[in-house]
Amino acid sequence: MIRIAKPLFAFALALLTGSCADRDDRTELVIQRFFGACQAEFGNLTDPAQANGECGIITAMINQFRSENPDIKVVENTVFWPGYDQLNAQLAANGAPDLVTMHSSVIPDYKSRDLLQPLGPMLATEGIVPADFTAAARAGVTVEGEVMGLPMDVWATLWHINQNLFDRAGLVRDGEPILPRNVDEFMAQAAQFEERTGKPYLAQITARDFSGPMRSFYIYMMQQGANVFNDERNANFDSPEGRRALQFMRDVYARGYTTPDQDYTGSLATFLQGDAGIVVVGTWMVGELDARSKEPDSPFYHGYAVRPVPQLFDGPEISFVDGHNWVMPRDDSRSEAEQEAALRFLRFFAQNDFQWSRTGHFPAFTKIIESREWQSLPHRAAISSITRIGKPLPSFVRRQAPIENVVGEEAAAAMSGAKPVGKAISDMQRRTNEILRSF
Amino acid sequence: MLFVMPYLCLFILMLIVPLAMGIRLSFTRGDLFGIKEFVGLENYARLLADPVFLRTVWNTVYFVILTVPSLTIAGLLLALALNRETRWAAIMRGIFFASFVLSVTVVTLIWRLVLIPNGGLAGVIAKAFGAEPISFLGDQNWAMLSIAMTTIWWGIGLPMVLFLAALQQVPRDLYEAAALDNASRSRMLFAITLPAISRTIALVLVIEIILQFQLFGQPQLMTSGGPNNSTRPIVLFIYESGWSQWQLGYASAAAQILFALIAMVAMVQYRISSRKESR
Amino acid sequence: MPAISSRRFFYVQVVVVTLAAGLMLVPLLWVLILSLKDSAALMSDTASAFSPPYTLENYANIIGGQQVSTWLLNSTIVSLAMTAGVLLLSSLAGYGFSRLEFPGRDALFVIVLLGLAIPEQAVIIGRHQLFSAISMHNSYTALVVPGLSMPFGVFLMTQYFRAIPLEIDEAARLDGASRFRIFWRILLPLTIPAQATLGIFTFFQAWNDYWWPLVSATNHDMLTLTVGIASTQVNFAQAEGLGFLMAQAVFAGAPMLLIYVIFQKYIVRAVAGAAGK
Repeated sequence: MIRIAKPLFAFALALLTGSCADRDDRTELVIQRFFGACQAEFGNLTDPAQANGECGIITAMINQFRSENPDIKVVENTVFWPGYDQLNAQLAANGAPDLVTMHSSVIPDYKSRDLLQPLGPMLATEGIVPADFTAAARAGVTVEGEVMGLPMDVWATLWHINQNLFDRAGLVRDGEPILPRNVDEFMAQAAQFEERTGKPYLAQITARDFSGPMRSFYIYMMQQGANVFNDERNANFDSPEGRRALQFMRDVYARGYTTPDQDYTGSLATFLQGDAGIVVVGTWMVGELDARSKEPDSPFYHGYAVRPVPQLFDGPEISFVDGHNWVMPRDDSRSEAEQEAALRFLRFFAQNDFQWSRTGHFPAFTKIIESREWQSLPHRAAISSITRIGKPLPSFVRRQAPIENVVGEEAAAAMSGAKPVGKAISDMQRRTNEILRSF
Repeated sequence: MLFVMPYLCLFILMLIVPLAMGIRLSFTRGDLFGIKEFVGLENYARLLADPVFLRTVWNTVYFVILTVPSLTIAGLLLALALNRETRWAAIMRGIFFASFVLSVTVVTLIWRLVLIPNGGLAGVIAKAFGAEPISFLGDQNWAMLSIAMTTIWWGIGLPMVLFLAALQQVPRDLYEAAALDNASRSRMLFAITLPAISRTIALVLVIEIILQFQLFGQPQLMTSGGPNNSTRPIVLFIYESGWSQWQLGYASAAAQILFALIAMVAMVQYRISSRKESR
Repeated sequence: MPAISSRRFFYVQVVVVTLAAGLMLVPLLWVLILSLKDSAALMSDTASAFSPPYTLENYANIIGGQQVSTWLLNSTIVSLAMTAGVLLLSSLAGYGFSRLEFPGRDALFVIVLLGLAIPEQAVIIGRHQLFSAISMHNSYTALVVPGLSMPFGVFLMTQYFRAIPLEIDEAARLDGASRFRIFWRILLPLTIPAQATLGIFTFFQAWNDYWWPLVSATNHDMLTLTVGIASTQVNFAQAEGLGFLMAQAVFAGAPMLLIYVIFQKYIVRAVAGAAGK
């Protein structure tokens, strides 16, 4: 035993002394984020313009900030998606980082327990005011009149289209995909697509990850002009609009117009292999799929288009959006210098939000959306209407994250036929209201 | 007493005290950042009326029934077959143990790739035979079975190793004596081997009951508790209500119920096996 | 021992077990193959795994990743410390419960046994609050100490000590050995098979433990390999680099397989030694 232990111990010691050799007196800025780690590919890149994808761009941006601010020691914490469990543990142990990525939909929860520092006044000193934000970004980051963070982006669910298959199905006119304008057109076009290509019209998430069905359900409810939530204690799922939305989703599944039983990765793979006409997924795939469409062996070579989820019901033109933000957890022991370092990073990010918007997300600033630089990015013209019609849930709705899970699970059960639509709707309503009344 | 003290201190500090804190939480309403109010037995009453929770209790029990006996029996059979000092046996032992070293993240990822109907290994095989691929994780009737199969694949190494360790303790002369008496193979198994390792059988059962009642990672990563709540176990329920929904009191109450459930089953099992032993 | 009929029985066993092992092996081999493939190629077609080109790039990426060596070190320290601690504490307690007479012994043992049934979820909040109260999160102590309270080891060792005939103690006592000496010098060596089993079990628990390290070690330098690797996994835009994930799996699993192989020898040798007497 000792024979093994000795070299092992020496190895451990070497690593230990190696890792704490250099001392560092600089101000420490701890940035905690999701979006994954990609040190191997982008770890040394300091120019975000050369990076792509969420992970690559954020990594390069932080690297750039690091190199431009040598007086700050930037510690980058990458967390397991979405990282809120870890953040909760940190907050409970008084060890929260300086800046954290947070979805607009969960900010109200943290705000209600006074765990975040409102950033409005601080940002104003840098000349960053809510009037600069797009309407959706502003709505996402503002709770009870207070600006709780710096919005990074707004994102939405989109239809990513394989134009080559659409062409084969006779669904392209003048280079534009023909998309349905109501439920009947949807069924007709999906049938036509299936008949001519032998492939399902949609690839979408229906298993394991419940975010997909949840987003579709919210969108279809909103498209009928319905409120998704009536007030802070009551959901509005159990309503004619809710039932109609879910029944439509069920019909699409039952008629085989969608891939069954696929999770996030599965639905994407189906689309990448050219086995479905449309993949229903968020803005973050725009950059990646556009890049794929330039590879000759791609099934959608020179044949990629992307559109907002089409308006299928007779209501206002609208789409459900969420967004990412930088927030600052409350910490009374945070020094002036650390505060200043954090502010410097926020200013840096606001100035470079264009780089972040290259992911496919919508920039949080009106100025960038209006810029030629952004508009000349691929496909942006086709989807920019989202910045006008995109709406997050009202900020009085708390516990949005777990509710999304409940809604998605019940919706998925109804889609696959495991549960009748009416039962799924009433279970969805009951379970959600229970959560809304639990605090 | 001195020998037991160090452990007992830790036992009290790290297990009993936190447990007591958890029990206290179960009578409250609150989140991770503080208790809001005492609500008495309300959480328990709510749980017993919550169809989602009740389903998770059944799911958990069903999973235990699916896995514990199969793991125990398969582990024992493997150990019996591999309890020899040949190279073949050593390699086989290594193979059956190897999957146990993988973390749950990886195990579930592999099995998802095997089980998904389009493009998964199972789907490819089904198509090769001209059959309609079964949606193992998407079908309510198959999902829990699939998770159980995954778990058995992952965990078979542990009972095997425990049984192997026990088998090596069985005195060789017993077998030699039996061989002289021309005892049959099955007679040796039932008259010598099984009685000699009965303690270990009880041990393996207790360990497996405890482990499998705490099922969590596999459904979380493979199905998120779906489809239609058919694979959500109690621990996933606790996790979701405590950490995602911020209902700490409710989650704590569910955790106490799980504790009671495991304690009950383990006690019954232990009783039965010790009664057998004394007979 | 082997009679003629048992030879056929033996071959049947060999065939059945080997076939089962083959089935066990398929997913493992798949992991290995996938880990040698470029993730992008796998994304568009998993079947490409069966044809070249293969690459070691995924492994290079892991090792090139910022902190993998730190995480590996953390996991090693935590798992070894926990294993050593559990072995020591459990042996002491097991001896105490099986050999010493003190008031309330049996009641205490039953309480400890009941502790086996406590699920981690029932105590994790309390533990977290305790370590918060003394500001001990993000330390090796916080990572190791909760694991030491697991009653499984005590249960196993007590059972094991009970199985050792009392005559051995008595003979030693007649020779004038002290109680501690009997424990340390005479009984403990007899429990090596149990120690090996318990050691493997504990090491694996510690190595694969996910939940407690996730909430306790939130400082990036204190992450264990399991948590650290998990933290790098989700990256939606690039849609899970499958090859990379699999390489991580091999990378994290390999040290443990090695440990098993080493310990397996120890079990066999210890038993062979005991049987030789």
